[in-house]
Amino acid sequence: MFYLITLLVYGAVDVIACLGLSQQFGVAGVTNFGFIIFQAAGAYVAASLALPSDTSNGGYQIYIGGLHLPFPMPLIGAALAGALLALPFTFLVGRRLRGDFAAIGLLVTAVLLNLLVTDYRPLFNGDAGVAQVPGPLQSGIFILSSTTYRWVFVAAVIVLAAGVYMFLRRITESPYGRTLRAMRDNDKVADSLGKNLVSLRTGVLVLGGAIAGLSGGVLVSFISVWSPAAWSYAETIVLFAAVIIGGAGNHRGAMLGAILVPVGFEEVTRLITNSNPSLPPNLLPSLQWVAIGLLIVLFLWFRPQGVLPERKRLIAVPAPAAEQAGEPPAGPAASGHDGQGLLTRGEVARAREGASGAAGGDDILQAVGLSRDFGGVQAVSDVTFTVRRATLTGLIGPNGAGKSTLLALLAGTDRPSAGTILYNGQDITALPAFRRARMGLVRTFQLASEFKRLTVMENLLSAAPGNRGDSFRGAVAGRRYWRGDEAAAIARATDILRRFGLDKLANDYAGDLSGGQRRLVEIMRALMAEPDVLLLDEPMAGVHPELARRIGDTLVGLCREGLTILMVEHELAIMDEFCDPVIVMAEGSLLAEGTMAQLRERTEVVEAYLVG
Amino acid sequence: MFESAGSAASAAGNEGHKTSRYGRLFRACSMAVAIALAAALAACSSSSSSSSSSSSSSSVASGSTLTVADVAPFSGVDAALGPTYLVSCDGAVQAINNAGGVLGHKLACTSADTRGDPADAVPAVGSLIANTKGLALVIGCTSDEAAAVVPVLNANKTVMFCMTGQSEFDNVKYNYFYRLVPPDLAESYAMVVIAQQLGYKRIALAFGNDIGSQTFVQPAITSIQKAGLTLVANETLDLHATTFRTEAQKIVSAHPDAIMTEALGSADPTLFAEIKQLNGGKVIPIIGTSAAISPAFYQASASAISAAAFSANFHADNLVTATSGPAYNAFSQALLAVKGKVNGAQTGNFTTYFTAPGAVHLYDGINLAALAMVAANSTDTSKWKPWIATIGNGVPGAVTVSSFAQGVAELKAGKQIRYVGPGGPTSFDAYHDSPGIFQIDTYSPTGAVQVTGNITAAQLRAVSG
Amino acid sequence: MSLFLASVGFGLITSAVLAIASVGFTLQFAVTDVLNLAFAAVMTAGAFVAYWVNQAGVSVWIGLAAAMAACSVLSVLLNLAVYAPFQRRGSSPITLVIVSLGMALIIEFGIQAVVGGVNVSYSMGQGRTFRAGGLVLTTVQIVIIAISVAVMAAVHVLLRYSRLGKAMRATAANRTLARNCGIRASRVITISWAITGGLCGLAGAVFAIDIGSFGPTSDDLFLILILAAVFLGGPGDAYGAMIGALVIGLGTEVSAAYIQPDYKYVIAFVALLAMLALRPTGLLGARARG
Repeated sequence: MFYLITLLVYGAVDVIACLGLSQQFGVAGVTNFGFIIFQAAGAYVAASLALPSDTSNGGYQIYIGGLHLPFPMPLIGAALAGALLALPFTFLVGRRLRGDFAAIGLLVTAVLLNLLVTDYRPLFNGDAGVAQVPGPLQSGIFILSSTTYRWVFVAAVIVLAAGVYMFLRRITESPYGRTLRAMRDNDKVADSLGKNLVSLRTGVLVLGGAIAGLSGGVLVSFISVWSPAAWSYAETIVLFAAVIIGGAGNHRGAMLGAILVPVGFEEVTRLITNSNPSLPPNLLPSLQWVAIGLLIVLFLWFRPQGVLPERKRLIAVPAPAAEQAGEPPAGPAASGHDGQGLLTRGEVARAREGASGAAGGDDILQAVGLSRDFGGVQAVSDVTFTVRRATLTGLIGPNGAGKSTLLALLAGTDRPSAGTILYNGQDITALPAFRRARMGLVRTFQLASEFKRLTVMENLLSAAPGNRGDSFRGAVAGRRYWRGDEAAAIARATDILRRFGLDKLANDYAGDLSGGQRRLVEIMRALMAEPDVLLLDEPMAGVHPELARRIGDTLVGLCREGLTILMVEHELAIMDEFCDPVIVMAEGSLLAEGTMAQLRERTEVVEAYLVG
Repeated sequence: MFESAGSAASAAGNEGHKTSRYGRLFRACSMAVAIALAAALAACSSSSSSSSSSSSSSSVASGSTLTVADVAPFSGVDAALGPTYLVSCDGAVQAINNAGGVLGHKLACTSADTRGDPADAVPAVGSLIANTKGLALVIGCTSDEAAAVVPVLNANKTVMFCMTGQSEFDNVKYNYFYRLVPPDLAESYAMVVIAQQLGYKRIALAFGNDIGSQTFVQPAITSIQKAGLTLVANETLDLHATTFRTEAQKIVSAHPDAIMTEALGSADPTLFAEIKQLNGGKVIPIIGTSAAISPAFYQASASAISAAAFSANFHADNLVTATSGPAYNAFSQALLAVKGKVNGAQTGNFTTYFTAPGAVHLYDGINLAALAMVAANSTDTSKWKPWIATIGNGVPGAVTVSSFAQGVAELKAGKQIRYVGPGGPTSFDAYHDSPGIFQIDTYSPTGAVQVTGNITAAQLRAVSG
Repeated sequence: MSLFLASVGFGLITSAVLAIASVGFTLQFAVTDVLNLAFAAVMTAGAFVAYWVNQAGVSVWIGLAAAMAACSVLSVLLNLAVYAPFQRRGSSPITLVIVSLGMALIIEFGIQAVVGGVNVSYSMGQGRTFRAGGLVLTTVQIVIIAISVAVMAAVHVLLRYSRLGKAMRATAANRTLARNCGIRASRVITISWAITGGLCGLAGAVFAIDIGSFGPTSDDLFLILILAAVFLGGPGDAYGAMIGALVIGLGTEVSAAYIQPDYKYVIAFVALLAMLALRPTGLLGARARG
């Protein structure tokens, strides 16, 4: 019977741990190779809080704490420990460090902490670890308790695991969860749409840390012992294998993985060893690791989505509104003359307008002496120009002229080597991209950058600012709290989708669309962000000329509604038809400015195109 | 105006009416509660059948096999231990079976790999208990996992003979726990006595940072002081590191007369080689713990600094074990009979397993348990357990026997017996610890263990901290 | 003072072994953009190949060559059969790191399944011990340092002066551009893996010679030292790796002289974390990705 209890408890603990890992890795795309140290921290703190002081405990162990606190303090302490331990690691998940480097950093930290705890005995009794940890509401260790107690414990742990599952489901199915998934799919784009990556990743590390700590607290109260050997960095690999195999991004998959790998796999190996004592004893554990390595590689190749892949979130597309422009469910009235109201001025946009007013007057965006060099190559060289409000300004130039770089500098996805950028009269040169986006300065990207594993509708919704559910607190508050904002966003998104003719594809994965359609998603998504200034990087590339014309018309209409657009394009015909003024760049510098007709007269412009 | 979309699989993502959202919540909750209830129900039904006794304490069916389990690391840093104990198990069990078994039951050995860490040891032991028919006895349980598994085995009322020298087992009461090896404290004192006897005054310590080694350091330091010797260096070695040159240099610069060490795995041999190299080719005398009396340790050290140099400069404390006489003969015959048949135990000269740590003591433990069962005429643990101390410590008028076969014969003749095996006479205290007497061991150039001296209880007391 | 000098000498040996390994690792990253965490496992394979050759009665120095050859082949296979297909599919760097971890498990524990948990040593003499003003080194150790220096020089010549080296640097900087300039990127990559694989095998065998007694899991901690050296110097930069190896090797051994030696690797870990936090492009930083 004890064996069954062991399996159930280990299963529940592994489920909790894998859920935490799945939230970090599968949902938010944060690869935490040091995951096990959070479980260990929880276990040690729970032990330290539950044990009596080390001098009164026989004197053969040395450890800090020993506060002899009753249940549920040790467990709460465990979760807190895991959460707090995550905070110092924010430096590793900051924007600037690529994912695999950060993962290595966490792996090394796991090895380092294991070494420190082993060597510094006064902390947690070194390599021997802490023992005699009492079970919850007991003075003795778990194994000495009554049968009833044991089964109540098992039941409680299972309920706890279920609770963690439901809590994480609530987080993941909210707009906040959608933002996390967007960050996972393409963090650079999420950044440019106003998502604070550092804050999001820190939040995910802390949440996962708390859950891992919780699992550690439960485990130590069951085993009654915890030592460095129990949390080598290899344990993290087992959990990763579990999540990958079960299905990253799907919490049920994580639970399945937890039952299959750490529990199922290990126990099958033990069974085989028990029934075959003639095998060389070292063989099976070695083969077990080989098998885990093989499973990881094979699954990542053949079925990276895991056994239970992430489910598609289907969102009902509301029926077309009444003929007149009016009565959108819970949003502001349309403001456009043609009743389209694409740029429905939401509260966010209106607030922006109110605050900054027309402080910059007509000059909404200014670049002053902007330069960017890449170790000797001058991509952008002393560029100064102004974009006037409500204009559709074109930016052209031959390949390598620095157009995309300039756009990146303006949007904040790249840092200038010199110069300033003024937005509505305010100096934003030092502001990161996500802050500029929240101020209304939004960009699109040249290469396909849709959120592949989000549907088209979700892509659009992810950009909607001001959704109450788009924060951790909002997510925890539950659906009722953010339902209204979500409905308003869905309504807006539907309007935009209809306008661009893609409403039928609303519930398709954005990654499955054709190239031209994905371009449209990009533009629509940018519009959802309620921009005041839109920086478009070759929006018509790969788009059917008919459709391109329609987009151009729409853009002009938007400008009439007050939107300012700066558009990089190759198609000079489009520039002709829609853009006024047009800026020409060549070899990093501004060459000329004017209407297309004027520019065609200028010899240096013609030459730049022929030569460059 | 918002319809619920499509399939059941998408139930999570959409706006449903109130009822379906609560419905989902309700379903999830009830599922969790159902599982929990099922578990509790299973408990109720099972507790009635196994409330007071568990499988190993009830008598086994007649004619069935009794299992002795080797619970120890078979992988990881201490992977050598598990197979070493298995040699004693197989040897003892085979001798017992040849003598007719225990009350008509044959014995068999099995193993449970704890992997040297508590989190793996607990399910390993759980699986062992659940899946082993007729589990009668456990041997092994080293310092790596004892703190976690001893309570489990004790709660399961399984008698165990353990190899851990950890101090908590000196005076924490586990009724089913028996120990025939000394606490690490005592070994530290023994090592200091060795230093005294060999005339070493300046001592350097080089212990690993693992559980098993660290418990020696503090007692050694106190004892060195008490003995009037000088501690000149104390280096803790990270067992995962691969070179120790700087540590070796620190030791050499301190000019010790001898080095006391336990740093298993590849650490000690590497350290010895580096010390030799830095000391101008001369090996500094080494005093090891009983864990150093093992075939694997000898092999690695000999190939590191040459067999001649190693054997000439090495001493270790070890429990007094017989090297001749009827008990020893029975023991060596028993083990020789299983030579080549024990998996994983094939390092070099097989006779070195006779002197490996735990070899004689676990063999003695198995014999004690078997004889206790015969004396109690029952395989019910609660009936035969008390006989362990009786047969081990002896009663006035008891006949001394030195093997299982001999013991059974005397019992049949109605005599009281005292079992004295190759590990020497036992004297269990209230905590079932029988510390034994120490001797001084060394290696011959071919790796055979030789006894070069003895340590009396008085000498130990004189340096005890 | 003499302890300090002695530990400097020991640090030089550690640095020598570490340099060979780090340069191999960082070049693999430079040319393929993969952090090959299976590197230490392949080193172990090399060490055992040299051991088996040695057990057959051949000198261990010939065994070095065998190790280089074997690991060269193994590394090329690793890239062609595992990493390249994943990259062609567009897998993210983090997926590749996880894959490399999986391969590390397969290789290292595959070896352990075959040889068991034993620790073995090469049959070889250590030569005479030389003392010079506090430094204490044996012949073998001096040979190891010499080999390392020679390898560093060879790598320098390769990268700076040979066509292949230039092609490697171009491919590392910008693969598409290199291809546009007529460089056969896939061939350069395969040759690079062959060369760095050879370095890996050499590092593995030399490592085993250095520590004397080794087993299938001896290399685990060494991988962390390699990572520390590589990131210290800037991932992808061979000269950075050399400097990083020198700093880490000397740092660990000298610190062992003055603090409790079981903490000596802590220095390496903390250095690595500090670099990641403050200057992820490394001391010589060139690869500013983010």
